[in-house]
Amino acid sequence: MTTRRRLLAGLAATALAPRLGWAGAGSPAWLAAARDGGGAYRLFGLSGRGAAVFSLPLPARGHAAAAHPKRPEAVAFARRPGTFALVLDCAGARVSAELTAPPGRHFYGHGAFSADGTRLYTTENDTAAASGVIGIWDAARGYARIGELDSGGIGPHEILRLPGAETLVVANGGIETHPDTGRAKLNLPTMRPNLTYLAPDGRVLDVVELPPELRLNSIRHLAARPDGLVAAAMQWQGEAAEAPPLLLLHRRGDPPRLATAPFAAQLAMQGYAGSVAFSGDGRRVAITSPRGGQAHLFDAETGAFVAAHAAPDICGVAPASGGFLATTGTGRLLPLGGAGPTADHPVAWDNHLVALA
Amino acid sequence: MRHLIAAALIALPLAAPAQESVIDRAVTGHILPGYARAAAEARELAAAAQAECAPESEALRAAWHDAFDAWLGVAHLQFGPALEGNRLFAMGFWPDPRGAGPRALARLIGAADPVGRDPAAYAEVSAAARGFHALETMLFDPRAETIGTAEYRCALVRTMTADMATTVQAIRDGWTGGHAEALRTAGAEDNALYPTEADALRTLFGAAATGLEFNADARLGRPLGTPDRPRPERAEARLSERSLRNVAFSVEAIGDLALILAEPAGPEVEGDVRAQLDRIETLVARADDPALQGVADPQSRLRVEAIRSRIDELRGTLAQDVAPALGVAAGFNALDGD
Repeated sequence: MTTRRRLLAGLAATALAPRLGWAGAGSPAWLAAARDGGGAYRLFGLSGRGAAVFSLPLPARGHAAAAHPKRPEAVAFARRPGTFALVLDCAGARVSAELTAPPGRHFYGHGAFSADGTRLYTTENDTAAASGVIGIWDAARGYARIGELDSGGIGPHEILRLPGAETLVVANGGIETHPDTGRAKLNLPTMRPNLTYLAPDGRVLDVVELPPELRLNSIRHLAARPDGLVAAAMQWQGEAAEAPPLLLLHRRGDPPRLATAPFAAQLAMQGYAGSVAFSGDGRRVAITSPRGGQAHLFDAETGAFVAAHAAPDICGVAPASGGFLATTGTGRLLPLGGAGPTADHPVAWDNHLVALA
Repeated sequence: MRHLIAAALIALPLAAPAQESVIDRAVTGHILPGYARAAAEARELAAAAQAECAPESEALRAAWHDAFDAWLGVAHLQFGPALEGNRLFAMGFWPDPRGAGPRALARLIGAADPVGRDPAAYAEVSAAARGFHALETMLFDPRAETIGTAEYRCALVRTMTADMATTVQAIRDGWTGGHAEALRTAGAEDNALYPTEADALRTLFGAAATGLEFNADARLGRPLGTPDRPRPERAEARLSERSLRNVAFSVEAIGDLALILAEPAGPEVEGDVRAQLDRIETLVARADDPALQGVADPQSRLRVEAIRSRIDELRGTLAQDVAPALGVAAGFNALDGD
């Protein structure tokens, strides 16, 4: 009895219970894209112990994946500025649909599902207007394109749906790029990143901007806690020696807060945070810097710096039991600040680790 | 063009001991002489504008070209004093896809804004109305002559050139007044800017890599567009017909830095870098398309694409062979940067 109650409480707390729908795909706890030893790109499902339970080929380097809330289905996005995304049936190990960005649009590499799983939202660039767009796809009908919203800024990168709500939160990185010039940054003198909260009908509910002296801090990646607290990771376009804060914490209705480590530790991040996650228990938040080979952990309530961890080319990070699981470009899975699997795979893990929660 | 760089090197003490570090050589053999020259040429330009301010003045245009050439010797050094106070953008505001520069200038001239007569106050105007690209509009864009009075435009040209001379000198002062020393003493105990030598090397390597990327993707890539949709109107400095000249001077300067950085990788890699730089120089000389307006023509487009491919090839050599020897090899994710 007590064992069962503890088990249930534990599952609820870590929010890592594999949903029934995903059982057919080996009940993975996380998804991550990687380059394998032969140089080919694949999407992996990882078990709670860090073992690969499935892997599916990708046509090119991936970036992030969005997991369907009900079906064992993942949408794998091409690396920016890609124009394709694949819907993978992780149980049947096949591509079940293919998304092609409409003419004049390209993907930024992230997407999110509506709570019922009938809509997929994707961050996109309207290349002619150089403005951010959220594409809407009908996940119930073969992922037909059914509309788009204004993202509320330039260069929308990650999009999330707030847990238990339909509200979307978008990291508008603020950097203008054009597919003709790859990733060349075209508007650094004028960039203004923001965090925009959108209703599913496109109404702008809230916009959070950084103070003017931090306008070169591109807001890129997001994590959300079940109570609506949002963590955003930033990438500084100015001098890395300024060691600006790279983590923003925000809850709607409250002023945003910036979190930073002591100066020397902050310098080691090289002005770049690549991923962000809340811990499995929601008490801490982690950002990673592959350039600095560092992960920083903060208290999610106070924003106080808790600890730094060093690991070469660390980038992916996601909630795990009591703490975090991180991935590196050298193939390692490693726990941060909690229990969790340590494992080495003969692959280079790509930027993001996605928890199926 | 290479003899200009050679001349700059000869002007330095040649008694460099064999032990001189890569960082020292980058500072004394590349960065400091580059800024000395850029500052001197910018002063010459301001003096030329004082003497003759009419846009058709050959002396003024020649001074602008010389100053731009010299600026391209340091424009890739996007760190340290160049980043303070938006100086980098104030010198080179490009790309400018929305035409912010011409619009800002038209506003100033149309209103005969007094700030256009005040070099000190001019530092506060939009970066789009400052620097080489804004001055190109004043000297080479016939539309600029249709607004306001010749007297105001003359005063504005003098103000802009004085502002540019001040800006480059401020960057140079930042280097001689501390940043050069900070870079050279990377890894020393109280060095907050460069806590380890790897930080300094990574900064220098990043400047070379990013500079080449900018030449390939922006200076060449923007006008190239796609084969279906070439965009000759996007070429940098096309009115003055120095689009390709900018690539030539920039890549040559970056090549100078790259050769310094390639030394730890050994003579074979150094030889590869040198050979790749020579090939780029040859291709640029043969392209015969100064304003890159041939990108819509299949034949001349191929020549521009070939330059871009060679620059990409050099970028590959730097990432694969030069960076690991410097100990700054970037990882799968660190390199991706997204």
